[in-house]
Amino acid sequence: MENTSQFCHERGLPFLEARALSKTYQVGSSTVHALREVDFAAMQGDFVVINGPSGSGKTTFLNLISAIDRPSEGEVLIQGVSTNTLSERQLAQLRKDKIGLIFQTFNLIPVLSAAENAEYPLLLQRRPKIERAERVRSMLAEVGLGELGRRRPNELSGGQRQRIAIARALITRPKLVLADEPTANLDSETGAQVMDLMRKLNEEHCVVLLVVTHDPAVTKYAKRQIRIHDGRLIEGGQP
Amino acid sequence: MTWWIPLRSLLRNRRRTLLSVAIIALGTAISLFVFGFLEDSRLQIQATTVDEYGNLQIASPDLWDDTTEDYNYLITPETEAQIRQLLGRRDKITGITSQLQFPGLIAAGNQTQVVRITSQVPENDTLNIDAFVIAGRPLRTSDVASVLMGRSLANRLGLTVDDVVTLTLTTVDGAYNATPLRIVGIYRFTSEQVELRSLFMPVAFAQRLLNTSGVDRLIINLESISATNSEAASIQRLLDDAALSFEVRTWDDLSPFYKQLSGFFDILFGFLTLAVFILVFFIILQVLTLAFLERTREIGTIRALGTTRGEVLGQLLLESGWLAVIGSVTGVLLGFALSLGFNALGIQWQPPGTVETSVLSVQIGLLIALPPFGVSVVATLLSAIFPAIQTSRLRVVDALRVE
Repeated sequence: MENTSQFCHERGLPFLEARALSKTYQVGSSTVHALREVDFAAMQGDFVVINGPSGSGKTTFLNLISAIDRPSEGEVLIQGVSTNTLSERQLAQLRKDKIGLIFQTFNLIPVLSAAENAEYPLLLQRRPKIERAERVRSMLAEVGLGELGRRRPNELSGGQRQRIAIARALITRPKLVLADEPTANLDSETGAQVMDLMRKLNEEHCVVLLVVTHDPAVTKYAKRQIRIHDGRLIEGGQP
Repeated sequence: MTWWIPLRSLLRNRRRTLLSVAIIALGTAISLFVFGFLEDSRLQIQATTVDEYGNLQIASPDLWDDTTEDYNYLITPETEAQIRQLLGRRDKITGITSQLQFPGLIAAGNQTQVVRITSQVPENDTLNIDAFVIAGRPLRTSDVASVLMGRSLANRLGLTVDDVVTLTLTTVDGAYNATPLRIVGIYRFTSEQVELRSLFMPVAFAQRLLNTSGVDRLIINLESISATNSEAASIQRLLDDAALSFEVRTWDDLSPFYKQLSGFFDILFGFLTLAVFILVFFIILQVLTLAFLERTREIGTIRALGTTRGEVLGQLLLESGWLAVIGSVTGVLLGFALSLGFNALGIQWQPPGTVETSVLSVQIGLLIALPPFGVSVVATLLSAIFPAIQTSRLRVVDALRVE
């Protein structure tokens, strides 16, 4: 778990912070506490694995960090800015510019080719066509799929789809990448290739990488791990 | 964001898209065909009406209002000359003639019939009845005691060319007058009513019968029907400026039948449009609701990647916009093909109130296509608004949970 990026050695304010983060749901007449007062911080270049049993609150935690859901209490700060203070439009802007998301089921857009899926976040950012083409070319090469850009997702294997999803998550050069069970739908060999790739990208691009997983094989790639149980963070909250 | 992603999305489920396009196209094509048919009928009736009345008529308000039993609405030769001088310099006028109409009673054997005598200048291109003469000959300037009789009236009275009828009338002074008239020709017209009620004779002879030198109206032909209203307004201003108290009436003012029929066509097309609108709206609403619902997870994904609600809404509406345009353009082309095929059949029919058969045909043109095209596009876009708004407002986490 060595860090090869000089920039990633720098220490200062946390890039990402969760303060007393709680999420409750109302199910009928009862209240479900999905997350209870979680405190967490991650520095630039961190690679954190989030473990915990099913239903422990890992995905809820990731949803709150990625600003696709709002906390019931507490707050998430990204580069010191609380997401609670941001409007829907500003949250969308934050996700577009600073956060890369990798889903368990890849979530590629079926009508777009592999290259167009990777290009999609750049379209959202209204980048010029030439820049988009150059970045897609280099990103696909980086994830080892330079030759498969024209293929549709249904023409790709599970591992290839997840690589495209990774390319899509990283193409805007986000500072924070969140992955929810990225190897769950892959065989062990392909899972290892994907995790090798993610570690390489974490080191070379110096992004904060948070990976939710059940898979013990994934844990060995992380610089640190945290455990969530019954909605509480029980170890590893601070760097 | 981009125009091509919605287009691709539209093509993902080709069978469903094809069905949607077919529904929109069918609605547009039917609407276009019926509209084209009604427009063609309207134009035919318009042409017939202009043949009967000319484009414009100038007369005293007393004549138009039908408020007097006397002939005090007649235009004297001096006034007629003054009006003709005023109209002489207008480019859009292709012909001017004068008419003197009056009621009379004709007797043939033991049969009598109330008629309306229309007297006009023979051998004049304006409102020329010559082309409608089917037996005998047209009127000549030198004719005296001669008339053209409508085919339907001649058939009813059992008369033919060279037969003689007696006309009884009242002169402008209120005296009775009677004269024998020789039928020099039989004319046909599209309207049976015209054939039954109108006899034509030279205006000079009519003036002698009525004991007047005046006429009751001036009739103006224009280079096109579309110039009617603007030219009517201009001529009215000219008359007013010259302190001549005459009123200009347009051909559609003079024909209540045309106005009623035109209104009926509008109502008919309105109902059809409404039916097509409702059909397209509800079917496409259902199709798009299903299509958007199936993509909930995908919408959640693009929202998670940073697409705003507004952008999602825009993409979905653009998608339905493509559907609307593709469906409506297909419908217009289908409607044109249908119309061309129908016109090629050359089906004959006899419109109500006419004695002539004519070819059933459908107007084809971009202006005809615009209303059906617009209705289909608007119906499709409106049907997309509700499901698109619902979909764009989904919470991202909820959308991502959908399998």
